[in-house]
Amino acid sequence: MNNSETIFLPHESAISHVTGEASYVSDIQLRNNLLWGQVYFSPVAHATIKSYELTEALKIDGIVDILDFTRIPGINQLNTHMHDEPCLAGDKVTFIGQAIFLIAAKDRETALKAAKKIHIEFEQLEAIFTIENAMAKRNNLAPSRRIETGNPDKALESSKYRLKGRLETGAQEHWYLETQSALCVPGENRNMTVFASTQNPSETQNVVAEVLGLQSNQVICEVKRMGGGFGGKETQANPIAVWAALLADATRQPVLMQLSRDEDQKITGKRHPFLSKYEIGFDENGIITAYIVDLHGNSGSSFDLSIPILERAMYHADNSYFIENMRVTGTMWKTNLPSNTAFRGFGGPQGMAVIENAIDSIARFLKKDAAEIRFKNFYQTQTKNLTHYGQLVNNNRLSRLWDQLIKSSDYFERRKEIEKFNHSNNLIKKGLALTPVKFGISFTTAFLNQAGALVLVYKDGSVMVNHGGTEMGQGLHTKILHIAAKELGISKDNIIISPTNTSKVPNSSATAASSGTDLNGMAVKDAIRTIKKRLKPLAIKMLSKMNPTVNTGRIIFKNDRIYSKSNPEISISFAELAKQAHLEQISLSATGYYGTPNIYFDREKGKGKPFHYYAFGMAVSEVELDILTGNTRIIRTDILHDAGKSIHPEIDKGQIMGAFMQGVGWCTTEVIRWDAKGNLLNCSPDTYKIPGIGDFPLNYKAELLKNANNPNAIHQSKAIGEPPFMLALSVWLAIKDAISSVADHTKEPDFSLPASKEVVLLSIKKLKESL
Amino acid sequence: MKSNTIQFILDNEIYTIDWSKVDFLPSTTVLQFLRAIPGHTGTKEGCAEGDCGACTIVLAELTQDNKLTYKAIDSCLLFLPALHGKQLITIENLATKTPTATLLHPVQQAIVETNASQCGYCTPGIAMSVFGMYKTLKIPDTKNIIDSLSGNLCRCTGYGSIIEAAKMACNTIKPDHFSGIEPTIIETLKEINRSTDAIELSHKHQLYLLPKTLKQALELRGKYPQATIVNGSTDIAVRQNKTSEFHHQILDISSVTEIKQIITTNNYFQIGAGCSIEDFKKFVQQNFHEFSPITDHFASLQIRNVATVGGNICNASPIGDLIPMLIVLKAQVKTASTVNSRMINIEDFITGYRSIDLHNKELVTDIIIPKRDNDSYYFSEKVSTRRDLDISTLSIATIIKLSKEGTVDDIILVYGGLAATVKRAKSCETFLLGKQFTLSTISETINLITNDFTPISDARSTTEYRLETAGNLLLKCYYSVLNELESK
Ligand SMILES: Cc1cc2nc3c(=O)[nH]c(=O)nc-3n(C[C@H](O)[C@H](O)[C@H](O)COP(=O)(O)OP(=O)(O)OC[C@H]3O[C@@H](n4cnc5c(N)ncnc54)[C@H](O)[C@@H]3O)c2cc1C
Ligand code: FES
Ligand code: FES
Repeated sequence: MNNSETIFLPHESAISHVTGEASYVSDIQLRNNLLWGQVYFSPVAHATIKSYELTEALKIDGIVDILDFTRIPGINQLNTHMHDEPCLAGDKVTFIGQAIFLIAAKDRETALKAAKKIHIEFEQLEAIFTIENAMAKRNNLAPSRRIETGNPDKALESSKYRLKGRLETGAQEHWYLETQSALCVPGENRNMTVFASTQNPSETQNVVAEVLGLQSNQVICEVKRMGGGFGGKETQANPIAVWAALLADATRQPVLMQLSRDEDQKITGKRHPFLSKYEIGFDENGIITAYIVDLHGNSGSSFDLSIPILERAMYHADNSYFIENMRVTGTMWKTNLPSNTAFRGFGGPQGMAVIENAIDSIARFLKKDAAEIRFKNFYQTQTKNLTHYGQLVNNNRLSRLWDQLIKSSDYFERRKEIEKFNHSNNLIKKGLALTPVKFGISFTTAFLNQAGALVLVYKDGSVMVNHGGTEMGQGLHTKILHIAAKELGISKDNIIISPTNTSKVPNSSATAASSGTDLNGMAVKDAIRTIKKRLKPLAIKMLSKMNPTVNTGRIIFKNDRIYSKSNPEISISFAELAKQAHLEQISLSATGYYGTPNIYFDREKGKGKPFHYYAFGMAVSEVELDILTGNTRIIRTDILHDAGKSIHPEIDKGQIMGAFMQGVGWCTTEVIRWDAKGNLLNCSPDTYKIPGIGDFPLNYKAELLKNANNPNAIHQSKAIGEPPFMLALSVWLAIKDAISSVADHTKEPDFSLPASKEVVLLSIKKLKESL
Repeated sequence: MKSNTIQFILDNEIYTIDWSKVDFLPSTTVLQFLRAIPGHTGTKEGCAEGDCGACTIVLAELTQDNKLTYKAIDSCLLFLPALHGKQLITIENLATKTPTATLLHPVQQAIVETNASQCGYCTPGIAMSVFGMYKTLKIPDTKNIIDSLSGNLCRCTGYGSIIEAAKMACNTIKPDHFSGIEPTIIETLKEINRSTDAIELSHKHQLYLLPKTLKQALELRGKYPQATIVNGSTDIAVRQNKTSEFHHQILDISSVTEIKQIITTNNYFQIGAGCSIEDFKKFVQQNFHEFSPITDHFASLQIRNVATVGGNICNASPIGDLIPMLIVLKAQVKTASTVNSRMINIEDFITGYRSIDLHNKELVTDIIIPKRDNDSYYFSEKVSTRRDLDISTLSIATIIKLSKEGTVDDIILVYGGLAATVKRAKSCETFLLGKQFTLSTISETINLITNDFTPISDARSTTEYRLETAGNLLLKCYYSVLNELESK
């Protein structure tokens, strides 16, 4: 018999995707009475609301209701922990796009017509948009954080060489293809069912309950799938669900709300822009002797997830390098922008970009190859393996990755060729860079590292698996399907992963931090173990009945059969076993649970073990640069990534490619600008450019590291969602390398992230002028 | 047929919309329509402005010799009446279904096999674009794949798997279930298109006119001078979707086949105002390949399939991509009304920021382009944030004639994106005339660009970048001419 475990099915929804049958929130077709929900957003960044008038708007035919903050039955709060995000603004607005009123109308056109008839008077207040401005006004969100190891000041003092730098990294819009949306259906006794596009159904449920003045058990949140999330629907899917629920509660009619693309871009938070300042000490070999870095993030108008994001940036300020004397301080600055939020990498990219840029400068200063400097500073296995926050870097795979990738990418050979090319070409320059990634896996807020599952076996032997994780395209449900099939020993065709529903699995954490499979996979495994434990005695009974001499020592569930290890020829089918269990009053459903052990961090001391394990990866990218326009093109990218023992290699490679290209967008074309009043200038795809198909590297190769079992996670696998995002830094630094060749690598070029055509061209201009 | 109706084929059946019976506007987009009828939510909205392709559908239309051509189009920018007399193919139509089984189309099968869907939201649009490639027998090389799919954004996959899927699907193209029913479809469409009467759709808030001949179009233009002229609607529809701009009267000239042609005479080319940008792009490749850097990177295939040359010019946008090359080529715009016709130099036709010299009862019917001057050098370049599907940050188009002695005999130097209109760099031109065409002359010329332009900073770029690049593009032009000179 074919071993079904080694057959990897495509994405469990692949066929629905390609036929158009796959349903998203706005595809759910209700019979009638469906209303359209529209938000009236603040057009100003910081102001008090003097007065407003809704009567004109309410008179419009087709308007069912318009709500202001006084109509909120529960608490006017979207952030249940920090209480710093009113659901509807009352007396004050703090960013452009803040919700003030909610409109229920027969359709969108009518709602927009009404919005134009709302009269509102503001008194403008002074507003802050940039980190520099917030610093000048001492407008920090929370006290600065600090993590320190060794004696960085003294070590810097005595370092042979020192370089100082400053780096700005830009915001990034998630640009999930499906904009924020929710459909709320009111039920009996004010109960509410919420169909949402959220990464965190439990939190959506809780916030809806609080704002509506209900208990959690009165609200059900269901997520079939999202059309992309990337962190943008971790907290920021809550508002739209709450707004729709308020309107549904007030009108007693179902309400659909979906942001238009431009609304979504304008009002939702982005990846935090960072401004970082550093000083780095090193010796003549490029060994880093001291590193002091200040990370400053723009949090926008409220807490949201800014502090955990800052923490992750600080934990990743070392990237893959052992630095004995290091201090990282971090501060989040409060501004009048929509609150910035989670985005793939969660601060990690911002922290890593700084050290990668610093090492690049060291190499230029020492006239050495940057990849070699990186290699020399990698964490080691026996010594030099402690991070600045005191966690041991276990199962370090950096040098294995390096050895293989340097060879497979022909790194040094190509370095020579590129040098030759650059010497004989004045208008086109090439650049090459290798960058590593070491990424810590776990929620850094320790208690979040838990998950639940509910597995239902029906008496025909078919199985439905519920778990708390959500599907946003990352293939979580497909991986869970593979895990469940392996654990139950039945074929994947007999298992369905149910939509995520808070009435099946309560109190789940967000599907985030790359941990979806790690946590939910373990919980599902736990539930299945319980069921198998109940079924085993029955199986023994049934097998013995078939042949009394059967050895019942070890019962195996495999290939849809149940048999004793020593008598595989005598077996029963899973369906027979399920049916018999039902007849014998044995429960066929079970819950499962998993909590990641041993995760802790002492914020006072800045020491602990915030991560369960690390994921590693490495990339080499080559770019071509047109020095007259600043346009760049990726010629070739080679990636080698550590995905543990992959549960599904194709899905993992898909995550690598997708994350890498999303990182390429952040590093190159995704430019975000605000005007002096806080209006987002790039608020539509017309002017905000995520990568298109023509931006894919001309030559791309990504491999998973072989023989890389991970003892710390389900079936020896590794988390994959976020780590490869940062491999795109190889593209960013290859561009810098190409720019630098204009001055024959004798001068440090001006550089920031994204390396947009402006940044590149103006940097080249400056280099040329200095020659 | 009653004139308040349109007819098209959907799900292999004739679909009739009669505006005396329905309440929605004639200018409802095809996307809005599909998402409101049962069973067609596979077509997605990702932006409603032509930038993502999630709404891609394929239209099969009759050619003049009664064959079917298949075009991928963004349904979010297409008004319903544009479907009249065509077959609308949506994602739901690709697979063949029995009550218990689904047989995927090769295009769908390839996407499944290459793991080219993740969240799946872009997937229907991707599948329709690849289906468009399949039906037009495109060879799946990298160039064609990028050309056909640059109008489809995917935020999940990173595109590599989508490229694989397109290759796999289009490597061996076999007849599919659409091929089988083509004869029936053709007959049905011929029947629908039999009447050559103009269609007038009247809704209580909107009158939508769909003439079939130029004569009808001009008459209607005379009768309803206030009506908004629409051709490919790629500009008008964006405005309707994004700013709730409302048109009480629309004159849609997209069914007027007479103005879609390109006619070649001894001395000039006559480009119909309704010629699609895609057809114009092919024309440029054949006749003025130096301008392909601009037309090859014009929007996306879905947009180029419907957007028109006339629409691009009449938009009179400072970053309208065709205008610089048309100025360089000394093109003339031909307008017509029921009573007379005028020829206007393109430079004079564009009178200011989004304003043109078009009289009340006129339509633009043709663009006249003189044949190429083989003694001159042409050059163009488009600079944008992203390589494909991005409007110009700035662009350049030039023609240069050199004397035997290497001095500049004649030059037209045009920039887009540096001023409120596409504009010639007159002081640079004057300076260059009679000078030796050398690097030092060019460097001196670059300093004069600020005499001609004071570009602004906006969402696309900064003043500093625009100025620096404007100079660099002139350098590029210099090196390109030099290259040609040397290769001669
Ligand atoms: C996503 C996207 C990408 C784009 N990319 C580009 C790009 O790369 N480069 C570029 O230049 N443009 C671009 N555009 C703009 C637009 O598509 C083009 O300008 C297109 O050529 C307009 O043609 P149309 O037929 O669709 O115009 P329509 O929308 O039908 O009309 C445009 C204007 O012209 C008028 N008009 C049309 N035909 C006539 C006529 N025969 N006589 C008189 N008036 C007429 C209309 O009244 C209207 O004011 C893009 C648009 C979108 C949505
Ligand atoms: S919805 Fe994005 S192109 Fe139509
Ligand atoms: S698969 Fe999610 S956007 Fe393409």
